[in-house]
Amino acid sequence: MTTPVLALSSLGLSAVVARTEGEPRPREAEREAVEACRRGEREAFDQLVVRYQRDVYRLCYRYVNNHEDANDLAQEVFLKAWRAIGRFRGESAFSTWLYRIAVNACLNFRALRRPATQDLPEALADPVPGAAARVESADEARRVREAVRRLPEKQRATLILKIYHELTHEEVAAVLGSTVGTVKANLFHALGNLRRLMAEEGSPSR
Amino acid sequence: MTRHLSDESLLDLAEGDGTAAGRAHVGACAACAARVEAARAGLALARRADIPEPSPLYWEAMRRNVGRRIAQEPRRLWSAWLAPLAATAAVAVAAAALTIGRVPAPPRPAVEPPLPAWSALPPAEDDASLAVIEGLATAEGGLSAMDEGRGVGAFLAGLSEEDSRALAESLRGASEGGRS
Repeated sequence: MTTPVLALSSLGLSAVVARTEGEPRPREAEREAVEACRRGEREAFDQLVVRYQRDVYRLCYRYVNNHEDANDLAQEVFLKAWRAIGRFRGESAFSTWLYRIAVNACLNFRALRRPATQDLPEALADPVPGAAARVESADEARRVREAVRRLPEKQRATLILKIYHELTHEEVAAVLGSTVGTVKANLFHALGNLRRLMAEEGSPSR
Repeated sequence: MTRHLSDESLLDLAEGDGTAAGRAHVGACAACAARVEAARAGLALARRADIPEPSPLYWEAMRRNVGRRIAQEPRRLWSAWLAPLAATAAVAVAAAALTIGRVPAPPRPAVEPPLPAWSALPPAEDDASLAVIEGLATAEGGLSAMDEGRGVGAFLAGLSEEDSRALAESLRGASEGGRS
């Protein structure tokens, strides 16, 4: 029998998972999956990929701003996690550990990457009513993403994890190896810098 | 007028949290109120940056790709407890060979075909060390006697002649049983 769904808000995830009577709770199931991975069971890792692939992909996208690189990076993140899972001791949540791998992979990717090329527009104008507004909105989203990419490293990571992945300040601090106070200060400055960058570009920031 | 609020406090207020004292301060301090408003505007701006959602089919493709790439990785069977146990087994084999005067496995040919990269361990039936571990485990006192920090060498050296013979018998039995 299926009981009401459980929101995984404590993991900072938007996903909800249906739970069946007698089945392990999500955190327990995740711990068991991690243990199985440590024994070399690939099927267990597959479950973790299914659960986290969207979050990892979206985190990577925030750094690279295009699908192809985000896809490559997200897969690399899972490979790194698989290779390192024997060293994961469960001292933090698996999601925290995975986010840390993802942020490091994104930072390394950016360090090695040639200067970013201009992104292609995500939508083309068409004669459908409302299309112009959608293009404008998509264009603004792209410009904001580009401004986020130009933030200093710590501020960018903090803003991405807090705003787009809805992690708590404590979770962001755990991922970045920082303190809650520093996370809040970084986020505060990130928001100010974001507005400044958008204003420099000549865009209305309000 | 008290001192201006810290960045942390201003952020809390911009996010709708913050203390009563903080809210009271912002009500009376135009500078801090402006900074809170600026942070709120920054939050609203940041939230307008949606990213394009891939096709629903993409997630399945990504999952398969990750699975395929992991399948190509070397197998990782050495869990945290197995590695020290295997090391213990190796020491036990050497010590048993010295004590009993019998080498548990015949010498292998000098040149062996290499194991495929993905196979970190030989099959269990060919693994002589497993028989040794089984033998030690079934011997009187078993592995628990080695858990007292004395080490394998001390454990074997401390055995009486009768216990040594029992251990040797046990090892022989396990070894022959493993091969049959």
